[in-house]
Amino acid sequence: MLLDRFKNEVEAILSRYPVKRSALLPLLNLAQREEGFVSESAMKEIAKVLDLTPAQVFETVTFYTMFHLKPIGKFHLQVCKSLMCALVGSDEVVVWIQKKLGIAPGQTTADNLFTLSVVECLGSCGTGPMMQVNDDYYEQLSEEKVGRVLDDLKRDGTCSLKTGPFMYPQPLAK
Amino acid sequence: MATYEKILLKNMEQPGYTGSLADYEGTGGYRALRTVLRDMQPDQVIEVVKKSGLRGRGGAGFPTGVKWGFIPKNHPGPKYLCCNADESEPGTFKDRQLMERDPHQMLEGMAITCFAIGAQTAYIYIRGEFRLGAKILEQAIQEAYAAGYLGVNILGSGLTINIYVHLGAGAYICGEETALLESLEGKRGMPRFKPPFPATHGLYQNPTVVNNVETMANIPHIINRGGEWYASIGSPPKSCGTRVFCLSGHVKRPGNYETPMGITFRELIYDLGGGMRSDKPLKAFIPGGASAPFLTPDHLDVKMDFESVALAGSMLGSGGVTVMEEGTNMVWAALRLMEFFYHESCGKCTPCREGTSWLVQTLQRIWNKRGRPEDVGVLDELCGNIPGRTVCAFGDAAVSPIVSTLLHWRGEYEALIREAQETMPRNKEIPVFTS
Amino acid sequence: MAITPTTTTDMITLTIDGKSATVAKGTLVIEAARQVGVMVPHFCYHPKLAPDANCRMCLVEIEKMPRLQTSCSTQVAEGMVVKSASSPVVQNARKSVLDFILANHPLDCPVCDQGGRCDLQDFSHEYTATTSGFKELKRVFPKEYFSPLIETQMNRCVQCLRCVRYCDQVMDVKALAPMGRGTMTEIKAFGAHELDCEFCGGCIQICPVGAITSRLSMYEFRPWMLKRTDSVCGYCGDGCQITFQTKNNDLIEVNSTHGAGRNNGDLCARGYFGYHVSVHPDRLTSPLIRRGDALQPVQWEEALELVGQRLLDIKTKYGPDAIGGLITGRCTNEDIYIFQKFMRGVVGTNRIDSSVRYGHLNAMHAMQRVQGTHRWAVNFDDILSADTLLLVGTNITETNPITGLKVKEAVKRRGAKLITIEALEPAIGSISNIVNLAHHHLGIKPTAYAGAVLGMLKAVVDQQMVDPEVRATAQSYANDITAALTSLSWDAIQAQTGLASEVFIQAAQVFAKGQKVVILVGPGVLRSVGGFGMTMNLLDLLLVTGKLTKPGCGLAPLAEENNDQGAFEMGGTGSVLPGGQSLGDPDVRKRLAQAWGRPIPDTPGSSLPQMIDDAQHGKLKALFVVGENPLASLPPSSGIHSALEKLEFLVCQELFLTETAQHAHVILPACSYAEKDGTFTNTEGHIQSVRKAIDLVGDSRPDWEVFSALSVMMNDPMEYGDVKDIGKEIHNLLPGTRTLGPAPFPAQPDSTVIARYLKTDYQRDIATRYQWPVEDAVAGAEDMIVQVSQSLFHSGKFSRKAKGLLQVEPAGKIYLHPEDAARRGIGEGAIVKVSNRLGEVITPVGLRERIPRGVVMFPEHFDEEVRRLLPYSVDSETQVPYCKVGRVRVEKMVGT
Ligand SMILES: Cc1cc2nc3c(=O)[nH]c(=O)nc-3n(C[C@H](O)[C@H](O)[C@H](O)COP(=O)(O)O)c2cc1C
Ligand code: SF4
Ligand code: FES
Repeated sequence: MLLDRFKNEVEAILSRYPVKRSALLPLLNLAQREEGFVSESAMKEIAKVLDLTPAQVFETVTFYTMFHLKPIGKFHLQVCKSLMCALVGSDEVVVWIQKKLGIAPGQTTADNLFTLSVVECLGSCGTGPMMQVNDDYYEQLSEEKVGRVLDDLKRDGTCSLKTGPFMYPQPLAK
Repeated sequence: MATYEKILLKNMEQPGYTGSLADYEGTGGYRALRTVLRDMQPDQVIEVVKKSGLRGRGGAGFPTGVKWGFIPKNHPGPKYLCCNADESEPGTFKDRQLMERDPHQMLEGMAITCFAIGAQTAYIYIRGEFRLGAKILEQAIQEAYAAGYLGVNILGSGLTINIYVHLGAGAYICGEETALLESLEGKRGMPRFKPPFPATHGLYQNPTVVNNVETMANIPHIINRGGEWYASIGSPPKSCGTRVFCLSGHVKRPGNYETPMGITFRELIYDLGGGMRSDKPLKAFIPGGASAPFLTPDHLDVKMDFESVALAGSMLGSGGVTVMEEGTNMVWAALRLMEFFYHESCGKCTPCREGTSWLVQTLQRIWNKRGRPEDVGVLDELCGNIPGRTVCAFGDAAVSPIVSTLLHWRGEYEALIREAQETMPRNKEIPVFTS
Repeated sequence: MAITPTTTTDMITLTIDGKSATVAKGTLVIEAARQVGVMVPHFCYHPKLAPDANCRMCLVEIEKMPRLQTSCSTQVAEGMVVKSASSPVVQNARKSVLDFILANHPLDCPVCDQGGRCDLQDFSHEYTATTSGFKELKRVFPKEYFSPLIETQMNRCVQCLRCVRYCDQVMDVKALAPMGRGTMTEIKAFGAHELDCEFCGGCIQICPVGAITSRLSMYEFRPWMLKRTDSVCGYCGDGCQITFQTKNNDLIEVNSTHGAGRNNGDLCARGYFGYHVSVHPDRLTSPLIRRGDALQPVQWEEALELVGQRLLDIKTKYGPDAIGGLITGRCTNEDIYIFQKFMRGVVGTNRIDSSVRYGHLNAMHAMQRVQGTHRWAVNFDDILSADTLLLVGTNITETNPITGLKVKEAVKRRGAKLITIEALEPAIGSISNIVNLAHHHLGIKPTAYAGAVLGMLKAVVDQQMVDPEVRATAQSYANDITAALTSLSWDAIQAQTGLASEVFIQAAQVFAKGQKVVILVGPGVLRSVGGFGMTMNLLDLLLVTGKLTKPGCGLAPLAEENNDQGAFEMGGTGSVLPGGQSLGDPDVRKRLAQAWGRPIPDTPGSSLPQMIDDAQHGKLKALFVVGENPLASLPPSSGIHSALEKLEFLVCQELFLTETAQHAHVILPACSYAEKDGTFTNTEGHIQSVRKAIDLVGDSRPDWEVFSALSVMMNDPMEYGDVKDIGKEIHNLLPGTRTLGPAPFPAQPDSTVIARYLKTDYQRDIATRYQWPVEDAVAGAEDMIVQVSQSLFHSGKFSRKAKGLLQVEPAGKIYLHPEDAARRGIGEGAIVKVSNRLGEVITPVGLRERIPRGVVMFPEHFDEEVRRLLPYSVDSETQVPYCKVGRVRVEKMVGT
């Protein structure tokens, strides 16, 4: 059982809320982190822990776009397409990725490494175009930068170009 | 170029400042909390904040002290503070910086707020994508617990204050305060109708204050330097203090700029932002996030305070300023935002749910040169039938891109439609709508 | 003392469309408008549900408020001026909301079963929404299979979420999930799975459009073709008002109107989907006479003549007491009344019994003895307004689902405290579980009710919570009970119930503190060994805490069959005459004899167990069985088989060729509740009209007509023009038996009876009641307790002829806790051997988390085989046969 393996974490999560159901999103996050998507058995398990029916878990899961009901690629490339990023070229980012990986939005590469999505605003409007890959942000993308990110991810599973604690513009050196 | 004293971004802009507890304390951090616990009554804190004229930085601009004052004093059960870190309004990215670069500033503000309203528990509802921010906050919270600023008997005061980070999972609407509460309760993030207000029936039906990250971050400074000091900055009496404006779009130097309220858009865009990124002139700008109606170059000298922007027919909203250069098609711009609103409508209210889907399809058609002469009239009518008839303010916001672009650039719609009429082969299939 | 006027301040006056309305504080504007005849159009609002204000159809203009307001979520205020239809702005807004809804609506009214009774159609008509600017593509949901009984057509959905909210707020089932968000929100079950729920039909009934409809009646009608017949459900004792919808004598559907009946328009699966029982192809359509091994169809005359003649012959040869009668509590009051009149007056015997004997009788006798009534001293409304509810031995959702809804409402919406003593564990499943709502749950095994009830009493006594007045006025009673309970040790109680003293003490404290306390008691007590004593003890619990005579307090035994209560009141048990009066009272007999113009035999009445005994010993020669099926209700150890075999003459009056009927010499075809008029009395004592909805099937006849015809054959005619004549005779005889008013007046406890009980009567059996029946020794290997029990989807064996219900639950399974199953290496669907010294049974397994560990349960509706494993005993006081609980071992079948 998934949650048995994270007993301490589950207990810590539950302890934060006076009403059990509040732990639903955190537990779903945990499940998705582990399995890459929210499986039916995870939903059932969580329902049980929180005294909910599976339907109650399901309706909540499907409201939030970050939860996947099916497995996706190891790296989830999410390119923001909202107006602010679009003004600075996000549509091209999609084209670059498409060119490099041969996948259109909604598709996954044959090696199951990359899934491409276009998404709405990710809160990085001043540093667009950008994409989020799993937990990390990559901003002010160029074709070359996208290429490097994808190569690094494929090779190393990580990439040093990801954004750290955010500050933009950087203060001018005095 | 004018320079302004910064309040919120000051620390983080110091070279070498990491946002750690030690760094924060080194700049006088947590002094305000000590003062409050040692010398003040909750009501006094609320008074100071009222006097400061601080208004919410989340979008609605409600006076913060007044909001706190609505919390019932003798409620038998628990009370809660929720910090709104959902920051999902397109054009806005200030809270992200405040959290990732100086987390203790907002944590101290939250602790003081808890004291003022009598809450023992606070949640930071942070959007699910901000993993890094959440991690940084978690670490900061641990530091604060270890140092006795949070937890049981904080700073020997006998008070208990716990702060927890709660990650969302991808839903813009959860930034709306009642949807946030529903989401925090583990449900679908559908806004509740008001009244009752969160101040009396909030989280788990208990009295609750919901405040934005930036609002919280201001609190320690107001305590340290006094309500009068804060109220003297910006454009008093209605727009006091500084704001962190988020500049994006076709400018040379996009990013977060903290200035007192009341500077002009021209100053922000041209002085601080360095002007347009190519040589094309400015065509349009959004003054306060995606929900705010578009303005034109004629409005560049409007002051960036609540009243002036409202007078110009828009709103200061979340402080996200997006600039568009000449050559940007306004139908396209409206469509991009409409797609956002269509995607994010929670679907509770009929006019918002059906209206956004209808509007987005009509706009897509017009943009794809399949418009019909009557379409502009349909847009006008639909946009008249949504605002004011929904549970939350999303319905009002959703139509503002279309209403304002129709107001200022109606010709662009008509041109596209004319073109469609001229070029559209008869009987050609209408493109299939996909969500 | 100052008198504070309350009524004036609690009322509020406002104006709606120029009409003045005065309504209670807290009323919603939409309801205030309704009260003055202003109908505000709406989709998402429903009085049963908390407002959600999502459809935005009910907008009104309220003076001094900035925007249009939703009248469904706005409470009235003094002096408020509301404009609805009188405001052009409002009219426009509503029109636009309709336009929005219709934009994505498929407009497939021609093929929609809701057509003609659809809110969307009606409002569209009202607002003449004939033209729309919508030129885009409509959203389309791929059609998916939803459930065996419920059809969804999500393209029609207006997303008001009434179904989802009903399923949660009213039913507490939470099986429906709105999936996704925005326009693409779709009502689903869990994932791609088909709906698995209580199938109450509530979502169908509450959907304002045709998005959720019944598969049983799909495409079979247009509403205006339907004839409505308001009647009463024939399944359980809740007595829900139903409306049969028929088309050309076909039963098309059954539903119930909001606000109607004691059920307030709510139904359960049996009521909503179980109606096909009346038109099942197996219905008997003509009388049958046994010729050798075969049953041959004959004309009524021949059959009646034969029955009349044989009964007369046996009576002459062996005396009237050689003939016995047994009638089902599914018959109407009129049928039962005439049956017992026929048996007593024409045959001349008091050997009569009915299904009330199977358990409900324990409560009738206990209440008569302690409080002098045979009816509840409370009603459903008292459950709603109770502050404390104690449920004992009733898996109420499955036995009496609608009474269960009252409990849910009291607890969920009105803040009542719930204490449960049940052989159930809190666990979420596809059927709502009442113990999930309990504040104090005393979870026990099905054999431990007696101990748990004593535990509650002991806690009351231990904690000095005995009502001071009882102590003062009934000293010896209080002392004797205290003494009896003190001599019981907490250790012994814990040994039987598995619960420590603190658990009882906490629950008893809540119980004693309650001001309005209702005890609901069901088959776990009434049909279990010691049932009578346990019921007496529950009455003692009310007595010692001073609640028995308090208004709003009382004991509420739950009748299982629809007219068990009526069967008792109509004289359907031998020793009780109509009106619950004692056969032993010569005055009563005299009065009745006068009214009937026939002598009432003074031989003692006898119960079904005694009749079985007597038949086996050759003392009972003939049995007239009406709608009962003792062969299927009692285990072989009761002797029912050999008893029936020994009979010289067995007549069965039936709808179907039941196990018992297969042994009959003559079978008379009766008609079902859908085909006759009359009355049923529900569990709370409310008498309600049953009305004929379809023509008689085949040659079947109402039961009373048969008895009447037989009396003619037996030269002692009891003739009636129609059912109304019988009704008149009944209420001339028994005041207070008319069908009157929306709710029953609760019976008043009789203070002289209580006084007698407190003074002396209690002494009779206190010694035995205050200890529990000794459990049969645990035979080492028989480590599981087996209980056959009621399922939500069936009622007796009768409902097995309802095709809708069979789709949900087609057969029996042995249900047990997943841990018990895992220990035996078995999973869902495995085949197991269930055995004990009485025999063995092979059955599939179902897993249910709410079944206590160490217990297996089997639905009694399919218990032909399992019944063989159950021990049989008879209550010495009430002659109630007990055969619901036993011990077994459960083993995995090799090779499965
Ligand atoms: C559709 C919608 C989205 C919103 N999103 C956010 C948000 O992302 N962050 C935020 O702080 N406030 C947001 N708000 C405003 C909140 O409802 C609320 O006014 C605010 O959190 C109050 O905090 P403040 O008084 O400190 O501004 C949103 C409001 C609406 C109607
Ligand atoms: S206005 Fe839109 S987003 Fe807000 S509650 Fe209504 S449907 Fe949801
Ligand atoms: S009935 Fe009021 S909003 Fe739906």
